[in-house]
Amino acid sequence: MALDPSAAATGPGADEQIEPLACGRDAAVVWDHAADGMLDEHERGCPHCAAAIADAHGLDGVVHRMAQEQPLPPPSLMDTVMEAVLDTVTAELRPQDLLALDSPAGPARLSRPAAARVLRHAVDRMDGMRARSCRIEQDGVHLTVAITVTARFGVDLASVTARVRQMVVAAGEQALGAPVARVDITVVDLWDEP
Amino acid sequence: MSATPGATPRTTPGAAPRTTLHVGDLVVARLAARAARGVPGVAGLRPDLTQALLGVAGTVFGQQRDTLPADGATAVVEGGHADVSLTVLTRLGHNCRDLAAAVQRAVSAEVGAYTGLQVTVRVTIADVLI
Repeated sequence: MALDPSAAATGPGADEQIEPLACGRDAAVVWDHAADGMLDEHERGCPHCAAAIADAHGLDGVVHRMAQEQPLPPPSLMDTVMEAVLDTVTAELRPQDLLALDSPAGPARLSRPAAARVLRHAVDRMDGMRARSCRIEQDGVHLTVAITVTARFGVDLASVTARVRQMVVAAGEQALGAPVARVDITVVDLWDEP
Repeated sequence: MSATPGATPRTTPGAAPRTTLHVGDLVVARLAARAARGVPGVAGLRPDLTQALLGVAGTVFGQQRDTLPADGATAVVEGGHADVSLTVLTRLGHNCRDLAAAVQRAVSAEVGAYTGLQVTVRVTIADVLI
């Protein structure tokens, strides 16, 4: 129950006379009787006590309904906010994350992580090869690419160099539009078809 | 568009008052965003943090829907010159260098034709969708 007469009696206003209902009863006592389902004859018939009991039921309804409610914003709003904020914060491009593109029509730049993803994707498409990391540095317009790969067991490692280099150079030129001057390849692991 | 502050119109009777026209930053940004979205290979524009948060606020509190979106485009107009910065997304299969140049040409042409400003377009490709 919301009100405890014993707690109220030890509260700051303990020695103040509590204003009774018009019928002379203490509202807190009536509320407690109502909560326990032990109303006496007077309380059942008295309009003042009935009003106090109705108050108790009203408060009870509000408190318990609010306690059971999950005050969460609608999921669509929450999703929208989180998605937008996370997207923009994680995707906020810093100047060092950008590669310069050679454009005659003005300054043009490309996200370095996006370029690395394109090159990794190109290597992933090769038979028997998977790309792991890809680091791109830029010197003037030329790119230096350091890529680590894993190879399927049985793939001729001697030809890996030539194949990956060719793929990276071609992807750099065709997909990115930036010439690749140097490719460093590290084979870091082997895998096998199950 | 707004009149340049400080321009004092002459009010000689019978003569046309002296009038100046200044094109605002947001006008240029909206035009640039619209032109960029029309370039083949542009998958979208990426709003910066401010624009994204304002966009979220707009969806929560309701916003005017009849304005051209300027997300991903910012512009600064000074005198007869506009500096436009665009952040675009593209798809794998479009050459990034060629796409950037195509966006610069399209935006420069459209903004220049509409406003009469000299335009410099700075393009950043933020992501390549795979």
